[in-house]
Amino acid sequence: MTELWVEKYRPKRVSEVVGNKDSVKAFVEWMRSWELGKPSKKAVLLYGPAGVGKTSLVLAYAREHGYDVVEVNASDWRNEERMKMVVGESSLQATLDGTTKKIILVDEVDGIAGREDAGGLSALRKIIDETRTPIALVANNPWDPRLASIRDRCLMLQFRRLRKSEVVKRLKEIASMEGIKVTDAALKKLAERSEGDLRSAINDLQAIASGRKVVDVDAVEALGERNRVREIFQALRIIFNTKSLRAARAALEGLEIDLDMVYAWLIENVPEQIPDPGELAEAYEALARADLFLAKASREQKWKLTRYAIPLMTGGVALARKTKPQGFVKFTFPSKIRLMQRSRAERELRSSIASKIAGKLHLSSSKAITHMLPYISFIMSRGDEYAKAMAEYFEFTPSEVKYLAGKGEVEVAEVAVKKRGRGRRTRRR
Amino acid sequence: MSSSLEAIATLPWVEKYRPKSLDEIIDQEEVVNSLKNILKTKAVPHMLFAGPPGVGKTATAHAFARDLFGDRYIDDGHFMEINASDERGIQTIREKVKMFARQIPMGGLGFKILLLDESDQLTDDAQHAFRRVMEQYSATCRFILAANYSNRIIEPIQSRCAVFRFRPLLKKDVIKHLRNIAEKEGLEIDDQALEVIYDFSEGDMRKAINTLQASASISRKIDEKTVYQVMGYVSRGEVRKILELALSGKFKEMRDEVRKLLYVQGIMPSDLISAIYRELFYLNLPEEDKLDLLDLLGEVDYRITEGGTPEVQLMAFLARVAAKGKGSK
Repeated sequence: MTELWVEKYRPKRVSEVVGNKDSVKAFVEWMRSWELGKPSKKAVLLYGPAGVGKTSLVLAYAREHGYDVVEVNASDWRNEERMKMVVGESSLQATLDGTTKKIILVDEVDGIAGREDAGGLSALRKIIDETRTPIALVANNPWDPRLASIRDRCLMLQFRRLRKSEVVKRLKEIASMEGIKVTDAALKKLAERSEGDLRSAINDLQAIASGRKVVDVDAVEALGERNRVREIFQALRIIFNTKSLRAARAALEGLEIDLDMVYAWLIENVPEQIPDPGELAEAYEALARADLFLAKASREQKWKLTRYAIPLMTGGVALARKTKPQGFVKFTFPSKIRLMQRSRAERELRSSIASKIAGKLHLSSSKAITHMLPYISFIMSRGDEYAKAMAEYFEFTPSEVKYLAGKGEVEVAEVAVKKRGRGRRTRRR
Repeated sequence: MSSSLEAIATLPWVEKYRPKSLDEIIDQEEVVNSLKNILKTKAVPHMLFAGPPGVGKTATAHAFARDLFGDRYIDDGHFMEINASDERGIQTIREKVKMFARQIPMGGLGFKILLLDESDQLTDDAQHAFRRVMEQYSATCRFILAANYSNRIIEPIQSRCAVFRFRPLLKKDVIKHLRNIAEKEGLEIDDQALEVIYDFSEGDMRKAINTLQASASISRKIDEKTVYQVMGYVSRGEVRKILELALSGKFKEMRDEVRKLLYVQGIMPSDLISAIYRELFYLNLPEEDKLDLLDLLGEVDYRITEGGTPEVQLMAFLARVAAKGKGSK
């Protein structure tokens, strides 16, 4: 299994953290103040866009200075009680037993607010007031009014998008450690595309570097629609990792990709991302119910119904997934599209056969396939007089006869000539 | 080979033994009686024929038209058949109806009959458009709509139609009919074989006749074993394989199989579900689990008739099978 580079090259010391020097410095000073026993603020809130090193900074500091990190994904807590148990215990204990130093890291703080985590925020507030352990909170958007009282208690440290030169530099280092050649132009291109999100830039680099010795601009360009793909990846990452219905739903907000495409990606990736069969069944059930709403929405033009489909297909999957696969599992492209491409010749042959049967027997093509083709195929497979007469009756071509008799391979060349061009009917949507 | 063999193979028997007149329709007495009354008055309403596959909806429409217009009912342009599931676009249907209804043939009744088969395959939008077509042309054209699910026909169309419900065929009548055909084709078939064919057909006459004909292609003397040979070939061994893959947790392989059946082979979802239904009872699972799965399968079946995407709905079911499979080991 390939290791994910973003993990492999996560900074191990504070000095390796890329960019945002002021905030990094302020964080270090804040930790010092704790170590001196006089913290300026009990907690710190690191905020800013994804992939700019907020969490990495906390992890790097802890590693460098020998802290254990008690990592809590904010959306893991459902309520005050659970929150007190996880955070409260360690926040009080840590300095009492004195043997281990701890930092409490609370990710996705902006995901806690709301009914689902009733009491979660007030509990967090109390814990900050009482803690004897440094608490680092991380958020993309800390400006939710509900977070006001939390903000008051925190040292606010902003993290900005990284500069292009910073991204390029880090990519270059990684490339050299991986022993791959990346042209300067390609590095620049990658950095541009990342829009200051180092994590996605590293992911991009890893994606194009696989199977290549040299990465040039063309290779980067060849990713083509990767922007869109990246958007989908981003959304999938959220959906598969959050435990909050709101966060899951929000994953699709502002996405330029149509809902059906997102749905196709979800359907494709659910089995790999959810290794536990029971949880997988839950996830599929949620997707199936979302499908019903989507179908009804488009069938009856009741677009309002998509508002039920979206939380079901995102949140339903998110909540179902309690167990993660071991190691990193890549998201994969919806394989149905490839299946359709690969099978075109066979489908055209079948559709030609079907319409011949349908024409003779007062049936639709689909019924011809289901109700007649197996029997005709059976008779044809015997290859005798009987079969011949049948072939004559339906006016099958030799390649059709062969296909029916052998259930065998399709001869593409012959099919191409006979093209009847009736594409498969796709269901709405 | 003998000449009788050639005769056997000339036609698919479902075509050869299609009823020619209302008198030959099997079962469906109520429907047939009503239609015979209509024949007397020649006041033909729009009609909706609803019922499961293979019980004679299309055949009845043809037989009725033949009784009404005579043997050349199609050739003389009194009757036309359009398959809704092949002609999805309402525009095509409208064009065809227009062309067809424009002229009234000599010696006719002043109207024509158009059979819209599998009309439940039309989208709601198309149905609304079709309802307008019905109104526009009702002076010169009467419509017979055939459908498996009448609940998928919109209310405004239903209310414009006389609705006829076709019932599943009786076992004794299916067997009687099969025996008739066998006799005419000079076959020897034993009772056991007929029973097996009936069970396999699930009351679908088309399936029963096809099974008989395929069996006859092996041997003029048909016994149970002959029929099983056909069933083995015809009855989706793939479905068993899919269920086994699910039970052993090979989820991706299973999904590929499902997709191949649905998208490449074009198997109808309802057919897949029926095959799963049959296999379900023989799965190596606790009885309670099978009951749960049966319940869910019914749900999935229903959802698909409600417009759910078959692949997704089936996968939801199969994921549950996989979960049960894991639990049992």
